[in-house]
Amino acid sequence: MSKYIPTIGVEVHVELKTNTKIFSNSINGYGEMANSLTNVIDLGYPGTLPTLNKEVLNLAIKAATVLNCKIRREMHFDRKNYFYPDNPKNYQITQSRTPIGYDGYVEVEVNGVKKKIEIEEMHIEEDTCKSTHRGTKTLLDFNRAGVPLIEIVTKPCMNSGEEAKAYLEKLRELLFYTDVSDCKIEEGSMRADANVSIRKNESDPFGTKAEIKNIGSITNVAISINKEIERQTKIYDSGETFKPQTRRYDDKLGDTVLMRVKETGNDYRYFPEPDIPFVYVTDEMIENVVKTIPMLPDERRKVYVEKGVSEVNANKLVQNRALSDYFNELLNENTNLKIASNLLLGDISGYLNKNEKTITETTLTKERFLELINRMEDNTLTSKNLKDILDKILEETVSIEEIIKTSGIENITDDSAIRDVVKSVIAENPGSVEDYKAGHDRAIKYLMGQVMKASKGSANPKIAMDILVEELQ
Amino acid sequence: MKYLNKSVLEIHELLKEKKIKPIDLVEEAFENIENNKELNAYITLNKEEAIKQAKELEDKEVDNILFGMPIAIKDNIITKDLLTTCASHMLENFIPLYDATVVEKIKSKNMIIIGKTNMDEFAMGSTSRTSYFGAPLNPWNKTKISGGSSGGSAVTISARDLPFALGSDTGGSIRQPASYCGIVGMKPTYGRVSRFGLVAFASSMDQIGPMTKNVYENALLLNAIVGKDERDLTSAEKETEDFTRLIGKDVKDMKIAVPNYFMSDIVNEEVKSAIKNTIEVLKNAGAIVDYVDMKYLDQAVTLYQVIALGEASSNLARFDGIRYGFSKENPESIKDVYFKTRQEGFGTEVKRRIMVGAHILSGENAKIYYDKAMAVRAAMRQEFKRIYKDYDLIIGPTATTTAYNQTDSLDDPLKSFLDDVLVNPANMSGLPGLNVPVGFDNDHMPIGMHIIGNDFEEAKIYQLASFIEKELNLDLTPGGEK
Repeated sequence: MSKYIPTIGVEVHVELKTNTKIFSNSINGYGEMANSLTNVIDLGYPGTLPTLNKEVLNLAIKAATVLNCKIRREMHFDRKNYFYPDNPKNYQITQSRTPIGYDGYVEVEVNGVKKKIEIEEMHIEEDTCKSTHRGTKTLLDFNRAGVPLIEIVTKPCMNSGEEAKAYLEKLRELLFYTDVSDCKIEEGSMRADANVSIRKNESDPFGTKAEIKNIGSITNVAISINKEIERQTKIYDSGETFKPQTRRYDDKLGDTVLMRVKETGNDYRYFPEPDIPFVYVTDEMIENVVKTIPMLPDERRKVYVEKGVSEVNANKLVQNRALSDYFNELLNENTNLKIASNLLLGDISGYLNKNEKTITETTLTKERFLELINRMEDNTLTSKNLKDILDKILEETVSIEEIIKTSGIENITDDSAIRDVVKSVIAENPGSVEDYKAGHDRAIKYLMGQVMKASKGSANPKIAMDILVEELQ
Repeated sequence: MKYLNKSVLEIHELLKEKKIKPIDLVEEAFENIENNKELNAYITLNKEEAIKQAKELEDKEVDNILFGMPIAIKDNIITKDLLTTCASHMLENFIPLYDATVVEKIKSKNMIIIGKTNMDEFAMGSTSRTSYFGAPLNPWNKTKISGGSSGGSAVTISARDLPFALGSDTGGSIRQPASYCGIVGMKPTYGRVSRFGLVAFASSMDQIGPMTKNVYENALLLNAIVGKDERDLTSAEKETEDFTRLIGKDVKDMKIAVPNYFMSDIVNEEVKSAIKNTIEVLKNAGAIVDYVDMKYLDQAVTLYQVIALGEASSNLARFDGIRYGFSKENPESIKDVYFKTRQEGFGTEVKRRIMVGAHILSGENAKIYYDKAMAVRAAMRQEFKRIYKDYDLIIGPTATTTAYNQTDSLDDPLKSFLDDVLVNPANMSGLPGLNVPVGFDNDHMPIGMHIIGNDFEEAKIYQLASFIEKELNLDLTPGGEK
């Protein structure tokens, strides 16, 4: 639409999945009673000092690794000084001068075009407390104060809302798969701000920037950015300008609204945090963290497709980490992964959703699943029969064979029983038999369908076909 | 019967032999404090709790030398359930929820906290006159200042109210009042004593230390409060040592440096002459004393102002009227909460220092001033390290003068920084420093010598200090008649 080139940079705050807070031993939890997860350190009491949760470093190293960042080996923390009621010490401990990660990238694909989204830096900091405004009062919940965060800042390298969306989806997938964060935007454990500006030519300096704060979902990131591009375009087209500003996305309005015009240069009076000595990251620390990184989503998709899984199924599996992890256990087995993926994403997913379970909460061990796949593959269990015994397969521990036997749906593999059925079908459908003999291939499919119907689906299809062909001779 | 003017060793023996009980000491301490009430050494007394604790101790075994000993705590050290005001209106009614690590440690020795001592507001000052509760008075002459910021602790020890006190030292706040009041005060190596529970002034320099009437007892108290603390990342991992172990050893062949700057014309002649006399005593005992040139020492006050005030502006931001402490009633907005609470809650000197500190860290200033100061600070530390390659200890006067009049220099904010010109460098460099009394001026006000050691060499400082103490054998009881 536009004669302007949009430029977008994204800042993402991600809460790290640690047991305790970054600078105190309070529990890092969500949804607990207000101010129940706090101590004197989180409240910024006089005389208290921060300690440093080692797990935070490990998760930050992990995030930096999967975001292809360089990892700083010697770093310190800084104080960012500003007064705000949600900021208990009225300074936030963050990393300003020595972010743990820098010069990284993630690769995304938008409309079939691959693009590297460059990451400027990634640093560790503490979360503020949560404020709730009630009339003229503001209520403060310090449970969130001191929850560890990483902030990931891209270069101004994106050109559309769709690219930003793809970046955030990729980021979420990576951090979720590596257990860095649960990345729940609705619970605030992942929060995105976007900086948007537009300009006429690549050679022009960047246009005036608007920052869109705390966008509630990844979809809304794309919408709000595109809306903002539209808004800026209209302003420039009408020959006007605007001041650098902070906006927020209003979901009901479906548009961004002005929060405040930015004052000239915030003065956060940064200086090195004297309460925390320099932190050194060793090779050993990095090696130990890298060991814990599982196979990443892109790799999974690639391997699945290589092993015969359809692209659609590969994508679906990766969208569900529990299923994907489960599926990975099968990768080195000599089995039919295509059938396995169909089973997992079909009937089994249906069961899991209905019963609000995860795959590991069922009784389907790897061994039993392999047995099930084999049964499906050699047609000794039909899809229809599977539906009848699925609950048992997923809730009982006996072998699949045993379940089939005791459920009375054992596939009729007895030749004579099938032959009887086949004979009666042939007797009842002389017309189709004529057609077959006249060379119409479709007729045999119809007859086969009748055989399966008469046997209530329990005939082994392969054996039934052989007998049918034989009897038709 | 008086016991508290005896040595701690003697008191300990009496306790052990059950000739006296801890309650006798506690009652005597409160009686002394009552008699010396006009010295204004205390902000809060812990009478009820101290008596209760003393009685509980009667059934317990006297298991260590500090058992049952009364101690006074500077009021910027957090004490659970006991008012901790930092001598500020801001915390006038602040009753903490926890104990500082040092308080836990002295409680574990069954020492008895008698009260919280007066000080400069948030430790900002060198005269204790910025206290919201009025200045303490110097027991040697009540018209003179006590020094500060740990003025109350110095006064109560000097007045012989009780044997032990804790102070804190950011730029000389233990050593300078110790000098003015004629007592022994040690600022340990940065990291030696946990800062957890010390209300922060300048985090990279603050250190808690012991204040006592003599060197041996000072080392005893240091023994009790040191150690790595998991709650303070800047505390140092060190093997336990007995800081009294070198006390009594002679100083023959000890190599001592006297920086020329410390004996330059910034120092009062009477003070210099007391130091020179002491140097002669040391030489006569076989110590090698050399005058040396050291760079950067004259920069200490400037450096201190930049770094300490920068850090202080951030450390004191938490006093905002929201979670604890003073809060201005009926605010109209959040800005109102901040502005009015801090306007009324802080005294003039504190506000002045916060503003200077905030300015120093503001925008480009952070690079111009703070970063530069940190670089010079590192260079100053290297300069000390250079001297310690050849010398065991560095000495000089603790203060440029003796205690001056309560009414002097009230309107000169720079004066209080210049008072600390000789003691600042040890804070800048993280080194341990101690004041030991070495004489009196013509008005019989005490003069102190400052001994600076290499990192973690407190024991060596005590060795030299106790030798001087023994050789000079001064009568350090104010009035002299007790």
